[in-house]
Formats: sequence, structure tokens, C-alpha cells
Amino acid sequence: MSEHELSEQPLDTEIQTHINGRPIARRVRNRATLAQFLRDDLGLTGTKLSCELQVCGVCSVLVDDRPVSACTYLAVDVDGRQVRTVEGLACNGKLNALQSAFVENFALQCGFCTAGFLMMSTSLLERNPDPSEHEVVEYLDGNICRCTGYEPIVQAVLDAAGRIRAAGTSDD
Amino acid sequence: MTDSKMKAHPVFPEHSGKSFAGKAVLRRDLKEKVTGAAVYTVDVVPPGCLHAVVVRSDRAHARIIDVDRSEALAVPGVVAVITSDDLTGLFPRFGHIVPDHCILAIDKVRYYGEPVVLVIGDDLYSASDGADLVRIEYDELPAVMTIDEALAPDATLVHEEQYASTGDESFSAMAAAPDDSDTALPATDNITHSHELAWGDVQAAFAASDVIVETLIHFPMLYGYAMEPYNSVAHFTDDGLHVTSSAQHPYMVRTDLARVFDLPLAKVRVDVPYLGGGYGTKSYTKLEPLAAIGAWITKRPVKLVVDVEGAIYTTRADAAQTRMRTGFTSDGVILAREYEVILESGAYADNSPLVLAKAVNRAFGPYRVPNIAGRGKSVYTNTAPASSYRGFGAPQGALAGELNLDQAAEQLGLDPYELRRRNLVHPGEEILPGKRGIDADLHADLGMLEESLKRDASDQPMHGIGVGLAASDAGAFPVSTAIVRIQTDGSAVVMSGATEMGQGSKSVLVQLVAEELGIPMEVVQVVQSDTGAGSYERTTGASRTTTLVGLAVQRACGDARRKIAEMASEIFECTPDLIDHLPGGISGPDGLSATFGEVIQRWFGAEAGEVTGVGTVRREGVTQKMPPFWEVGVVGVEVAVDPETGFVTVEQLVTVADVGFAMNPKAVEGQDLGAATQGLGYSLYEELVYDGPQIVNPNVVEYRVPRMGDLPKKIDTMIAQRGDGVGPYGAKGAGEGALNPMGPAVASAIARATGKWPDRLPLTPERVWRLMNGLPEADDLG
Amino acid sequence: MLPPFGLARPRSVSAALAELDEDSVPYWGGTELLLAMRMGLIRPRQLVDLKGIAELTEVRIEDGELVLGAGLSHDEVARDPLVAEHAPLLAYAEALVGNARVRAQGTIGGNLCFAEPRSDVATVLSALSAEVRLVAADGTDGADGTDGADGTRERRLDMAAFLLGPYWTDRQPDELLVDVRIPLPVTAGVYLKYQTVERPTVGVAAVARGAAGCRLVVGAVGELPAGFDFEDVASVDAEAIAGELEPTPDLTGSILYKRHVTAVFIRRALAELAEKVSAP
Repeated sequence: MSEHELSEQPLDTEIQTHINGRPIARRVRNRATLAQFLRDDLGLTGTKLSCELQVCGVCSVLVDDRPVSACTYLAVDVDGRQVRTVEGLACNGKLNALQSAFVENFALQCGFCTAGFLMMSTSLLERNPDPSEHEVVEYLDGNICRCTGYEPIVQAVLDAAGRIRAAGTSDD
Repeated sequence: MTDSKMKAHPVFPEHSGKSFAGKAVLRRDLKEKVTGAAVYTVDVVPPGCLHAVVVRSDRAHARIIDVDRSEALAVPGVVAVITSDDLTGLFPRFGHIVPDHCILAIDKVRYYGEPVVLVIGDDLYSASDGADLVRIEYDELPAVMTIDEALAPDATLVHEEQYASTGDESFSAMAAAPDDSDTALPATDNITHSHELAWGDVQAAFAASDVIVETLIHFPMLYGYAMEPYNSVAHFTDDGLHVTSSAQHPYMVRTDLARVFDLPLAKVRVDVPYLGGGYGTKSYTKLEPLAAIGAWITKRPVKLVVDVEGAIYTTRADAAQTRMRTGFTSDGVILAREYEVILESGAYADNSPLVLAKAVNRAFGPYRVPNIAGRGKSVYTNTAPASSYRGFGAPQGALAGELNLDQAAEQLGLDPYELRRRNLVHPGEEILPGKRGIDADLHADLGMLEESLKRDASDQPMHGIGVGLAASDAGAFPVSTAIVRIQTDGSAVVMSGATEMGQGSKSVLVQLVAEELGIPMEVVQVVQSDTGAGSYERTTGASRTTTLVGLAVQRACGDARRKIAEMASEIFECTPDLIDHLPGGISGPDGLSATFGEVIQRWFGAEAGEVTGVGTVRREGVTQKMPPFWEVGVVGVEVAVDPETGFVTVEQLVTVADVGFAMNPKAVEGQDLGAATQGLGYSLYEELVYDGPQIVNPNVVEYRVPRMGDLPKKIDTMIAQRGDGVGPYGAKGAGEGALNPMGPAVASAIARATGKWPDRLPLTPERVWRLMNGLPEADDLG
Repeated sequence: MLPPFGLARPRSVSAALAELDEDSVPYWGGTELLLAMRMGLIRPRQLVDLKGIAELTEVRIEDGELVLGAGLSHDEVARDPLVAEHAPLLAYAEALVGNARVRAQGTIGGNLCFAEPRSDVATVLSALSAEVRLVAADGTDGADGTDGADGTRERRLDMAAFLLGPYWTDRQPDELLVDVRIPLPVTAGVYLKYQTVERPTVGVAAVARGAAGCRLVVGAVGELPAGFDFEDVASVDAEAIAGELEPTPDLTGSILYKRHVTAVFIRRALAELAEKVSAP
């Protein structure tokens, strides 16, 4: 069944959203995923796709502060909501605490999973600014990395949490 | 080139004097990867790009009767629906060893998942809707799904003919027919390739043995799961064919594409942005011909991205069954090893012939084996084609060789360290006659491993320790080039055909140039992996980049320095012997000195120009002997087994990276832990499972890879640096070693915990439970 | 690639009910529905997006029951103070569902309606004797239906009546699952699962009943959660229960292995329950 066979009702929807704080109004296909919207319509290619079954975590973004898998989330569902992606983490070209900690701890190699880990880690630290190692592992267990063996990622998140707490403020 | 004044490493001859090499510098590529700015192939969409979707076979083996494209073509936005019938005038196959791999199935499909039709649309929506409407009519053929079925007498042939070789010298022994033969030879069996290794008198040695131990072990069918699935974008212009692709070896892909379209190599440009993981799975040609035929037919840029299922049906790793028999003296000295490795290689050869050769070379281990008879077969089946994956051949081979040693240790009453010590070669000793001697101190490495494992060992029940050693003839065929261009301000551009796939080559190249030229890393720029704008590199694989590309870069820096010195002698009007090297410049007579930039500007007489240094590596000098280096693997684990469920917890993971010289120790540790983790994956969790014609778990939900929650309780990644490699400063490759012998280490650890020896990987909880309870691999359900 | 579809975004339950039919299906988090659509298993003409209906995300105590709106995400249930106070077992299990994104995106109602046989939620709700409330526009008379408010009819089903098989419930195409109701008070309970891949191989919930008894529910291992009531925990024969079940063989285990680990986890769950009950 293709689009032209289903033409008795609209197959797209007008949405208004904020992406990394920037207001965006667009008409999107109902069938478009948030990942397609971000990557193909807005050119925000920092969000990657891999398993497309919500298990690898590569496409993790935050919608109204909740982590979601952009591969299995409709673009129309960001209507009226705030979306945060990896492109929104750095401030005026300066890496935030999590990004710096990932670089300094060698918590990435190929980097394809990294946006997802950063967004999930952002979500974790917003919920729990002082996580234990166990809590980090539990929260990030739904993200896959094939390069690092994970240990440097755990260290980076704990390191970033410490830096953010030491700075006394959330850095975003 | 004979200038006697030029020394090999004139500026920093001493290990201790290095400014950049050997330091845990922050990797060059990571910053743009944490901001989302880094560009991967999947992010490249040229203007006017069309999108392609592959329609795949839903039969394992069937004749194609008819393809009905009419409904697909009726979908608005669908531009073309392509089958192999549309490729008239092209060479419709690819393959770097034997070009047996159909771009789109010709006449018949050889496996479930094989590309049959390519649907191209204005966007992915129309292409995808069109693909859903392609109707293919088949006439089913008998299929051979396993090694046994494929090797049975009168088995159906996967390929009716044997293909001529590609003419690539290093692979010439791996094809049935020479490359100049015009007529294809009819095939008589499903054997893709055979390989043998023999010396000594095995029969006599077994007769003289006090203890003979035999092991039969199955290595699982794996999927490397590089998280960026395969994708390519192709475009024809007046300049020829331009393909941007997720390829580890752009120059090898270029050769395949040039053959398909009968183009000069110079008219095929393949470039590779960042790779989202490679691990060998992106070696050699994958989707590039598909995207390119789409572009050829439509005369527009065409992009093709497959999903994980499509990636699994593009390339997986060879499964293996290996029988290993070893004869020992009563005190544990190896007298002979006899073995056979059979690889289940799927429907097309791809790199399996080479994987096979490596599996046979790498099965017997870094030991003194006076008598050997090793042989192997790579077998075509009607399953997804197998090709390279990290360690290629070594994990399949070492599993049998090492597990067999551990079983022998038990019979001989020796601990696994001691049995290995009694047979392990010393530095410089040959394990393959006539080849390079082992360039590692494995006795010392084993000592480090043993010390760490014993320090934290538990004496609780259901715990077990296992160790594994391996030696891989690594580095592949040594052909590398590099170009270093020094600019008028003293900055430098280094050009290499090596791909940055996460292993950190970009950063290592910067360190090397900064070190060799004595300039800050910040002023070194890297251009990588572009056959149209860079420098030739045969492959990015076999752990070769730091060693071989490193040598080429070092030589390119030396060449540039030599040219600068010549220019300076002209400027200073002195003989070249009065020019000496300084960091970032030269000194001349009478206390004169000049920076590189000053020399270039004064020589050209303007604030313009550059100096180009070229470095090459081939089979001569330090890289004359094959292999260029040995990559050894030294790993150990301690496991705990739940006696009720068979669930395995990894208590200790210990690795020794014997890398000669660690260009960036943090990066080496990262590569080692990553390799070890993938090793734990195939040891404990990962396996593609066929049920009937298709894979039952072609996805990441059911193909279970290591997760953060699987992190071993103790991780000790040690680095041994003894300067014994042929690469820069004594470096040799890393990145595969810790994966290669992980299987036998885990298997023997579980054997020691449970008292039972497994005969297959991965050791899933159910397998371990069955092992403990003496139950067969599967129940007879009547 | 998802197939094309229309979208309705009602603001009230009655407006939603007006949209529902065979080919126009309720939609919230999409964690199951969108996957099924992508795989070509379902091709609805229209998705009825329920996220604009505020009452579907309420948590309240009503008539001795803890009432959870069907649109609450797993994470919202796991972190809700009323749930933590009155049904801590559910909060515990919800915090273990899938991964953090699935918990943020997927809903308790969607999970039940999809009837994924390996659902943690269904197992625990069975153990808690929960019921679901289904409403439909009042066009026809349901045989066992009771009249709801505002021109709707509604019915309440316990888990055994609601869940009919894998991916199959008694929800009719015109019905909407509006809330989940857990009778209070909830007694001490445990939930243990054996999970080596993305979904559990077996999940065992045990809730104390009376002085020495318990309600035991075994989920994930077979097509439906299987419930058992015991007067005396000490008399439970884990092997016998496991032997009665019909495990679904898959890559996480054969029938033989699944029966075996089911017995193991029943024993472990009951031991943990005994500890919990006897704890001061």
C-alpha cells in the first residue's frame, strides 16, 4: 500500500516544535520518524540510526526531558514539545562536562553510538546528579557500544557527574 | 636517496626524547564526534540524490522465473526498478579474490536475503513503497544449508562454475582458475578454497607420543555489528564514478568498481568519511556496486543504506568446525599437531579463502610444533555470504588449538601456564618455517597474565580460570604510501589512504608527523581515505595502520626533511653535510638556522610553495619478510557459573597488549578492551542461527551482543612495550589480539568451573546447563 | 520504513471512541505498535493518538482501588508516589521494563493491549489481581457490559479474562482500555525475573495471601501468565508447577531448559517472599 492509495485522508500534519531551543514549524508526513525528521528535514545528522528496534540506543534524543528512541517515535509527536539532540549539548562551541569527560576518558572510538550515550547520560544526570557506578550501568544498559568495552563510558559519566556537582550547577 | 647524511630518525633518536609519540594524547577525532558534527557516510546526501531500496530473495536457492516490476513502477516517485537483466554491458559481479559475487542475482538466488531487485525513488518513501510491490516468481532448487549438506556426495552446487582469479598477486593461489582463462571451469563440488600446511613426519611423531588429545569444536556464525550499517552513495560525472562509502579499503573497492564499469582506476574515486565501526566487517566491496549501478541507470546520484537485517545478509563471519589432534611427550612437550578447519562460508567467496588460509596458519598457536599437518576447506552453502571479521581466521583456528592444549593440560596433570611455557616459542623463533620469527616475548607476557589472574583468583566452587594465547601473521600485504606536505608556515598536511574507523589512526598519523618533523600536533592536518585526493593504501585491516602506514609516514617525513635540507643548502650556499635537523626546521653553517616555512619561502622566493615528502612501504628492507609483524593475543578470564541456570559471570578479564611501542597507550588500551569485549561476545552470547532457509535472529534484539551490564568485575588491560616491532619506534599492530584467543580462554574457564569440556560456542546459559547435566545440544522432540 | 497512515488526535475519551474501529487503532507510545507496523504485521488506516487526553494519565485511589490511567508510561508508574506507597511491587517491576527509553515512551495500557507474552507488567498485575477497564461508545450492548457514563458502555476484566493469547486480548476494536485497577491493600510481594536477552525468559511474581499462603504468577515463559493460589507456601512444588506450564521455545531456551529455570525462579521467588514476610 503506497501513499497514493490512501489518499482519502491527510497523510501529513502541521507541527510546531522546539529543537535545541529553536522554534521550528513544518509539515511532516505522519509516517516520518523523529529520526528521519531530524536527519533528513533539518539536517541534524548527529542523531544516528542503527538497530531501529529501540534496543541499541544510538538514536536517543530527549523530548520534554524524556529519553526516547527517535527511530520509533513519530515526528508528529514532537508537536508542542521540546526536543534536545547532541547538537544542542555544546554551548558556543565549548564542550559541556559530559562531552569533555567522554573525550578525556576515551569513552568513544568510532563515535557512532556516542550521541545516544551522551543523551542518555544527560537524562540520567538530570534525574540523578550523583549516580553510583551501578546506577550508571543500569541506566545505560540499553545502549550498545561495539568499540570501547563500556568501561571508559562508565568512567566518563561518573567523571562528568563529579565535575557538574563540583561546578555547583547543571551546565546546560 | 643515498644521502649518507640523512639518518633514520635524526631528530628524536631516543625513546625517552619523544614529544608526542607514546603519549596518551587526546584523540583528534573525538571532539567532533561528541558534538554531532563528525560526518559519516550515512550523513552524505548529495543534491538531487535518489534513494535505493533492495528487494531481497525470500528463498535459499531458487531459479528466478520472472520479476514483475509494473506495480512498483506505478508508485509515484519511483524512478527505476533494476534487475540483473539491466546490466548488459557491465561486468555484473565483484569479488577481490574471485569475482563470483553477483551485484544483483543472475538467473538464480543463492541465499535468502540476496539482492534481486533495486528500486530507486525520489525519496526513501517512494522507493520503499515500490519495493513492497515488486513481485518475484521463483522455481525452488534444493539448498545446502550446512557444511555436511554442502560436502555430501551429489550435493546441489551453489556455483556451477569455478571463477577465474582477479589477478591480484597476493590472492592468486586462492582461485581455481588463472585470471587469463577465458572459459570458466565447471565446478564439481562446493569447496570454495582449500589450504594446507605441512612439515615433519606427523605419523611418526604421533606414534612416538605418550599422550594424544583430540578436540572437535564448533565456532559460531557471527555478525560483527558495526553500528553504522553498510551504506554507499554513488554518482557518475564527466570525471567518472564517484562513490562515498562505508568501506575500510577504498582502494580495493575501486578495483572492483573499475572492473564492473570497465573504467580506468583513475576514473573511479572512492572516498570514506568516518566509519561507524569496521572491525573487518567493512573490508572489501559491499554495497558500492549496487549504488553505482543505480547511478549508472538513472544518471543521478543514488544513495543506498541498509538496515541491520540487510547488513547481516550482506556479510557475516565464517562459522567453523575444527578437529585438532596433538601428540605430547609425557612431560607435555608437543610432538605433532594434525588438524582440519572447515569454514561454512555462505553463498559467495568474498574474503573467505583468505580467512581460511589465516585460520589454518593461526590454529596451532605460537608454539614449537616439530611436525604439523594442517588443512582447511572453505565451503559454499546457501546462506548469507561470510567474509572478514576482526581477527579473521584466528578466532576460528585458535579456539581449537588452545582448547585442545587445555584439555591436554588436564590429562598431563600440568597447569595451563606450565604446559604453554614448555612449548611457547622465544623471541625470534619461527613458527612458520621461512617466515618472520616471533617478534614478541610471549613468556614474559604470559607471566604478566598469570600474575594478574592469580592475584585476584577466587577459590569458590563453580569458578574457573582460562587463558588463551594466539599469534596472527598480521599486517597483510605490505603496500603502503603516504604523502607529507609542509606548508609555508611550517604546518603540515599528511595524506594517507588508511581509514579512520574508530581505531584512532587519524590521531596516530598526527602524532607521528608532529614527532618526526618536530612541529606541534595542532598544525598537522590529515587527509584520509580518498582515492581521488590522497595517497594509496592497500587496506585498513590486519592491525596494520600504525605499523605500515606509520613507516610510510615516517619515510614521507624523512623525504620532506631531505628536500628541505637540499633547499637549505642552496639557500645557505653550503654543502648538504653542513645542514642538520632541528625540530620544525634546520640548522646551517655559522650558527644559522631556519624554520621549514622560512626555507620554503626563501627557496621559492615568495610566500608560496610547499615541500612534498613521499613515503612508501613494500616488500623490502624491514618489511621484506612476511608477515610484516606478528600480532599476539594474550588473554585470561575468571568466570563464575550459576550451578542452577548455567549463567556465566565474568569475574576477571585480563589482557596483555604486546604492541612493541604504544603510540597512544590510552588508545591501545581502548582497542584491547574493545577487542576483548567482542571476544566475550562470541564466547558467551553471539550466534546467528539458521532455521530453514533464513536466519531466525537477524536483528539486535535476538542477536545478543555484550552490554554494559556484562562488564567484567575486574578489568586489567596491560601493555607490554619492548620495541620489538618493525613499525615506528618499534611499534607493531594492535586491536585484534585480545579477541583471537578469547573463545578458548572462556571455554576452558567454564570447563574448569563445571568439570565438563564444551564442544561449541557461544556458551549461552542453556548450553552451560546442558553441559553440566550431560544433556545433548538439543532435545529429540520426536 | 513505516507504511503511510492517517492520524486523529482526539482530546477526550468520547472523541477517541468515535474514531476507533478495526482499521483505526489506539496509539500512545508506539513502542510496540510502530515496530509491528514497520514489520508489516499491521497496516492500520489511521492511528488514534491518545496523548492529548489528560484523564488517561491520572493516578488516584478510588473505592479501595489504586487506579492507574492507561497512558501512564512505565517510568511514570515506577516513580509515582501513590504507586510506591500502595503497590511497591508494581513500581519495582515497572522500573525493570525494557530500557530507559522504552520506560519513558511505552505505557502500561499499551503494554497490556499488545499482550506481548513476555511482559513483566502483565505478570505482576496478574499477581496483584488487577483488572482493566474497557470503554466503548454505546452503540451496541455488550453481553456482559455495564453501562458507563456519557453514552459509553464499559466492562472490567481481570488479567486472565483480558489476555487471551500472545498478542491477543479481549479488547474489541471499538474499545479503549482507559485504566488499570489494583485492589488495595496490596500485601508483601516479590518479582524475580531471569533475563539474559532483551526480554525475560521467565518472570515470577509472588504475593503473600493470608497467614501462610501466596498468589504465584509465572509469566514470560509461556503464551500467557499462569496464576496459582496456595494456602501454604511450604507446600508449593516448584517442579510440578513448571511441569504444568507450556514454555515457548526460542533462542533463550528450549522447553526443557525453560521448565527447569522456571522451577528455579519459583523457588527463589518464594524464598525471597518468605524472607520479606518474616522480616520485622
